[in-house]
Amino acid sequence: MRELEGNMKQLLYYTKIWSMMAKNAFLNWSTNRNVLLVFLFGKLIRYAFSFGFLYFLVRGTNGFLGYSQNQVLFFTITFVLLDTVAQFFFRNVYSFRPMVISGDFDLVLVKPLNALFRILLGGPDPIDLITIPPIIFVAIWIGALLHPTFFQVLSYIILLLNGFLIAAAFHIFVLGFGIITLEVDHMIMVYRDLTSMARFPVDIYKQPLRWILTFAIPIGIMFTVPAKAFEGYIGPLAIIFSVVFGIVLLFFSLKFWNFALKKYTSASS
Amino acid sequence: MGNSRNEMKKYLRLFNISFQQEFAYRLNFILWRARNVMQILIFFFLWDAIFSGGATQIFGYDKAKIFTYAFALIIVRAIVMSSRSADVAGQIANGELSNLLLKPINYFSYWLTRDLSSKFLNILFSIFETVVLVLILKPNVFIQTNPVYLISFTLALIIAMFIYFTTIMMTSFVPFWVPEIVWGAQFLVIVIVVEFLSGAFLPLDIFPPTVYQILRFTPFPYLIFIPIKIYLGNFDYSMVIQSLIIGTAWCWVLWRIVNYIWKKGLLVYEGVGR
Repeated sequence: MRELEGNMKQLLYYTKIWSMMAKNAFLNWSTNRNVLLVFLFGKLIRYAFSFGFLYFLVRGTNGFLGYSQNQVLFFTITFVLLDTVAQFFFRNVYSFRPMVISGDFDLVLVKPLNALFRILLGGPDPIDLITIPPIIFVAIWIGALLHPTFFQVLSYIILLLNGFLIAAAFHIFVLGFGIITLEVDHMIMVYRDLTSMARFPVDIYKQPLRWILTFAIPIGIMFTVPAKAFEGYIGPLAIIFSVVFGIVLLFFSLKFWNFALKKYTSASS
Repeated sequence: MGNSRNEMKKYLRLFNISFQQEFAYRLNFILWRARNVMQILIFFFLWDAIFSGGATQIFGYDKAKIFTYAFALIIVRAIVMSSRSADVAGQIANGELSNLLLKPINYFSYWLTRDLSSKFLNILFSIFETVVLVLILKPNVFIQTNPVYLISFTLALIIAMFIYFTTIMMTSFVPFWVPEIVWGAQFLVIVIVVEFLSGAFLPLDIFPPTVYQILRFTPFPYLIFIPIKIYLGNFDYSMVIQSLIIGTAWCWVLWRIVNYIWKKGLLVYEGVGR
């Protein structure tokens, strides 16, 4: 009971710190309103174009691989949703490299706060926060056209959360590599490009690429499996396997982070 | 005569230096190429899945022609969209432009030469990637043998390179007035509008005819879509000539605009940061 109370206190402590860091990040952006507007406008146009193109493509082809037009659109909106949420929470990863190079990471390590928490979640992106509600609206709208059962919706939500855990694991791996190799920016771009391959169901790729994208670089489990569960193509066993896979991956990413942390040399500080 | 030879030597030296600089950031370059290949893989497998339904013609393309579109994308992107002039915006914002203005070199020729050097390297890699991908994926591809289409394709590529150069220059000049938006305009125009409306994401004829006809009168399809369509022989001769004329007209219009903005920008340039 006392342990539970302690955990709750810890959770509240970190929630409070996260909201403070988020507020700081938003204030920082608000000093550059022109830039904020340009990038927000750009992201909205990008989403509009992506969906516009896809809409006309599936309308002209009447879906593909046995998936209807709305099902294909739902795969894409699931990708956009999860990708945007991950970018919103993990944006601070993009600024980790200068911290390691300059040795400023020392200042994070000496604080009475989990360093990974500070680096991974320390700078949410307000642009993504603005775009998330309309994306959720579109996801619900397309999803409703597929008439899912309660179980399918529940599976989808669980697997989306699981996809978010996998995204977190990917970002933790990138941070770990960042400490060891001082290379973050390129790794994160490779991650972005790899995940963009799941804009469409990974079924479009031939073997062995499909297997690699499902299990080795599990973007299939991240993006395709939740949408498939929503559309009723996935049974309970596959859902359990996916969740276990996500948790194991997160576990190994944390192990890797701890390993990498021991390699930090504090150079330049 | 001697003077023009000296000028030529100057740009050749610049070409060489710029070419060597590309190797200074090898990982950066390799990842940039890997990203291009990934985009082609998505394009290729998406259309492969679409044609797996048994259709022989979709949006006017058969399987061989759409796969050729995918592989042509690698090479045409390397020719048209490889560029160093994206650095111009940063130079203006941090005042580095002052260094170049003091040198006895034409500013636009300087960046054109650096772009050509970048294109040269990217073309070499793109040919290698295309060969490897064709060997692995073994698709049916369409080889154009009609000399009229091949010559027109070459002309369309030259037009595309020039349109891309002027577009990048225009967006790079924004920091003259708003230095804090260094990459903002490029993000908006090059990363988003050009990427989608040039035909690099998907062929533009998936749009309804009205939208497609409107797009044909903008400069963007002349970057990727129109050159590939000409290569594929999907246009009749009159359409090819019309496309080349519109593309050339855009080159002229954009060049005039770039020069106008450049002159206006220099008047307000303060060399902040130097």
